[in-house]
Amino acid sequence: MLEIARLDGMEEVLHSETNGTKSGRSDTVDLNDNSLQVDISDALSEREKVKFTVHTKTTLADYAKPEFSVVRQHEEFIWLHDRFEENEDYAGYIIPPPPPRPDFDASREKLQKLGEGEGSMTKEEFNKMKQELEAEYLATFKKTVAMHEVFLTRLAQHSVFRTDHNFKVFLEYEQDLSVRTKNKKEKVEGLFKSFNKSTDELLLAATQKDVDDYFEKEKGFLLEYHTAIKDTTTKADKMTQAHKSVADSYIKLSTGLSQLGTIEGPRLEKFINKVADTFEKARKVEGRVSSDEDLKLSDTLRYYVRDGSAAKDLLYRRLRCLANYEQANKNLDRARAKNKDVHAAELAQQNACEKFELITNKAKEELVDFKGRRVAAFRKNLIELAELELKHAKAQAQLLKNCLQALQEE
Amino acid sequence: MADSREPPPLFNDDDDSHKDDDNDDLFTSAVQSPVSELTTPEEPRRQEGLGDPLTSPSPAASPTPDPPSDSHAGNPTDLFESVGEPPVGGLSSVSLESPTGGEGTQQELPSDPDTTLVDAPCVESANMSSFDAPVEDAGTTGVTGSDDVVGTAESVDQSSPPANSTSDSVPATSEEVSLDDEVDDSALFNATSAPKLQLSQDVPEPPVPASSILPPMGAPLTPPVAPITPTVTPNLTPNVTPAAPAPVTPLPAVRQSPEELEAESGDEFIEIQVSDPQKIGEGMSSYMAYKVTTKTNITYFRKKNWSVTRRFSDFLGLHGKLVEKHLHSGRIIPPAPEKSAIGTTKIKLGSDKTAESGSQDFIEKRRASLERYMNRTGAHPTLRADPDFREFIELDAELPRATQTSALSSAGVLRLFNRVGETVNKMTFKMDESDQAEGQWFEEKTQQIESLDAQLRKLHLAMEGLVAYRRELAVSTASFAKSAAILSSVEEHSALSRALHQLAESTERTHTIHHAQADADFYYLSEITKDYIQLIGAVKDVFHERVKTFQTWQHAQSMLAKKREAKAKAELAGRMDKVQQAQEEVAEWEVKVERSQEEFDRISRAIKKEVDRFDVVRVKDFKDMLVKYLEALMTSQQQIIKVWETFMPEAKAIA
Repeated sequence: MLEIARLDGMEEVLHSETNGTKSGRSDTVDLNDNSLQVDISDALSEREKVKFTVHTKTTLADYAKPEFSVVRQHEEFIWLHDRFEENEDYAGYIIPPPPPRPDFDASREKLQKLGEGEGSMTKEEFNKMKQELEAEYLATFKKTVAMHEVFLTRLAQHSVFRTDHNFKVFLEYEQDLSVRTKNKKEKVEGLFKSFNKSTDELLLAATQKDVDDYFEKEKGFLLEYHTAIKDTTTKADKMTQAHKSVADSYIKLSTGLSQLGTIEGPRLEKFINKVADTFEKARKVEGRVSSDEDLKLSDTLRYYVRDGSAAKDLLYRRLRCLANYEQANKNLDRARAKNKDVHAAELAQQNACEKFELITNKAKEELVDFKGRRVAAFRKNLIELAELELKHAKAQAQLLKNCLQALQEE
Repeated sequence: MADSREPPPLFNDDDDSHKDDDNDDLFTSAVQSPVSELTTPEEPRRQEGLGDPLTSPSPAASPTPDPPSDSHAGNPTDLFESVGEPPVGGLSSVSLESPTGGEGTQQELPSDPDTTLVDAPCVESANMSSFDAPVEDAGTTGVTGSDDVVGTAESVDQSSPPANSTSDSVPATSEEVSLDDEVDDSALFNATSAPKLQLSQDVPEPPVPASSILPPMGAPLTPPVAPITPTVTPNLTPNVTPAAPAPVTPLPAVRQSPEELEAESGDEFIEIQVSDPQKIGEGMSSYMAYKVTTKTNITYFRKKNWSVTRRFSDFLGLHGKLVEKHLHSGRIIPPAPEKSAIGTTKIKLGSDKTAESGSQDFIEKRRASLERYMNRTGAHPTLRADPDFREFIELDAELPRATQTSALSSAGVLRLFNRVGETVNKMTFKMDESDQAEGQWFEEKTQQIESLDAQLRKLHLAMEGLVAYRRELAVSTASFAKSAAILSSVEEHSALSRALHQLAESTERTHTIHHAQADADFYYLSEITKDYIQLIGAVKDVFHERVKTFQTWQHAQSMLAKKREAKAKAELAGRMDKVQQAQEEVAEWEVKVERSQEEFDRISRAIKKEVDRFDVVRVKDFKDMLVKYLEALMTSQQQIIKVWETFMPEAKAIA
């Protein structure tokens, strides 16, 4: 589990707030199976790079030691994901979506903006804004770590994936995996590949008639679902950001009020200071509302955008298989007509058929699994969201009530 | 002569600041045009008017924007009249001179812009160099003359203080104003404004506050005073009919017994509601009318509960009248809502009343600020007793079209306030007050008001930020709700779909709550704070008024010294004929000194009282505001609790 994440001397804050980030990952954990446990025990931000310490505990005989740690970077996670995705054996599975790139640009940009606007605010306001930004940066950092951890946990909990050789290497190999970031040629290739893939996908979607109604329906659903959930995620992000802005604007309100109190003198000072104090407290609560909405709502949605996308990829692979199978059938017919290479064609057709059936069966299971996973995750997070919203709203209502009472006693 | 020098530097200061701030063509021409117009007949007087410390060029200058007004759809006039021009003067002069004459002048001016501009430096040099000599002349003619012109001058004089301050805003506003569309007004303005133009050019005697002169000059002055009333008379047509003597009385009445009126009686209350905004007419000539409902137990009102209908310009007109009548006696007049050219035009052009939510917001914002304005004015014991105020809330008929739809646009007002603030600072610094304690009190107060002003502006900015972010939150919450609803319709798992649907509904409700809260942010916090920024402007005006009164006094003293010297010289020279005249002048200035000193003491007393009241009311208002706001916040939170309580079982029902 995430114990410490060191980050430019922010350890303390981190320690105290580590609990918030554990969203959306325990839902895939099968608690009955502890044969392979993976977590990220530490993370270190070094300039542009984040170094994750991947900690493994296992009872599996394949591994040399029962417990060990290695240091991995984001690129190595991506490498691992790509190995899974290109492995034909896993074509029938939903490959756990890769963790998103660590991205602190938004926070940095905001910090820079704040620096530019330093002159326009009081020192107190500036410090508070800075604190807020640091907290935001920290939250982003923790989320990044959590996303990387979820990826590994899902692999480790998967009955097939966890025995994968590359995974073992990833977990165990003490040296750098020397995965370079892709060079230009590879990048272009990758781009070309993904372009090919998506055109193929489009083509297949348009031309390939599915023999199985279930998949036809699932395909429709996933396409629609993906669009809808993506849109919802964007909107949820906007909402939480706006909420954060509201919370931050309480800073200026609060300091502005207390300064007014100083000018007004004894007639109003005490009164106004109470109010300013209340705004300061309310700001923190509002800030929590925003970050909790982000964790429980936006992040859940975000994860299922990616998981849904992985499921879509699975359907594509299956459809590709189907197309291959049909092509093999045609080839066999042609071979029979010409009475040439019949055996080879028969073999190919059989292969394709087997492959397709395998992938179909597996995919069915995986889709059911996906649905179950999704429902469970939403249930958990929505309940937690409601609980937190209630908690914060109640805290704030109480805060305001206390303040009003105190003011009345004046 | 050292004494007599005192005022001019002050004036020059003032004048400089004018130049600094107002490079506007309009204004410059405004300042100068009188010169080119009047050179011959009124020369000495004009110079005195301009050169006098008390009448910063504005009063003389202010009328001149009128001529351009012909081409400008009459709006600068509008602006000018609103605060600066006393109905008194304007109307009286109408009665004395044919409006057509006035119109003639108007036409001439714009056609002659070059002259105007060229003349500019002359005015200044004239002011400075020829200060001494003309002043004496003017003094004599101005005061002794019992002809109509003097009368008019006096009446103008009463209003010159406000004119002073307003004229500053002229350049700033005029453009904006010209956007403003009260086309129907312009016709009226031209007619009425023309005479005023004439009138103010005559301003011969600004240094002497009307009040101090009124009693001794009783007889000759009556004509101008009587015509005051026309402003109040319905249907103010170009050929103003001086009539309705009733409202005349208020002026003296208020003056004579301000103190008694000031006394607050605790159980009196007056509550004014502004409601039912209604668009009357179509297109650019349309306007908004509001229902003004009053509830009161004050005995001088005929009823306890009644309503009248007033249009927006009426409110501005009322404010203008109150400023004219009460500012010079040191009362803080609550500022009327600003005119917004854009908002107004939008409403006027909007074909359907309910169509645009933007103009709906605008109307509601204005309605609310009108209501606050009325209650603030009504809360003032003297202002609510003012006949114009009473007529405004009581008269169940259309008010005469306010010629002064005080187009105090936002930019103009802000500028005005800033400027007045500077001037006050500058001037108070120079005030060498005999009463040290009092001087110190005023200095401290001025300081406090300044820092309060700065802080409130800062706070207002923070509040505006909050409002904007909360609105954004409401909007983004609403769009999330829509997306969530779509997601729920796509979701194939029925319980999850139901929960998502419920989530969409919950967030939709949260959106409404945020929206209401944003309104509360705006109406309970931001707008009240903004009101206070403007009220502080009114406080600064009052301080400024006191400085002007002080200068009048100082000026009178220096004049008296000069007259005495002249008398001594004459005696030495043994010119008995001159001694006689000089003796008269000395006596006359002695009276003036006494009066202006009284005036100064009175305004100082009044301001102290007003500012004390302002302090008390402000503290109370702020407390009320914050409590009300916190309550609104609490209500929002309680509603949010309910929303999520409803949602919870649905989330738990996902299986």
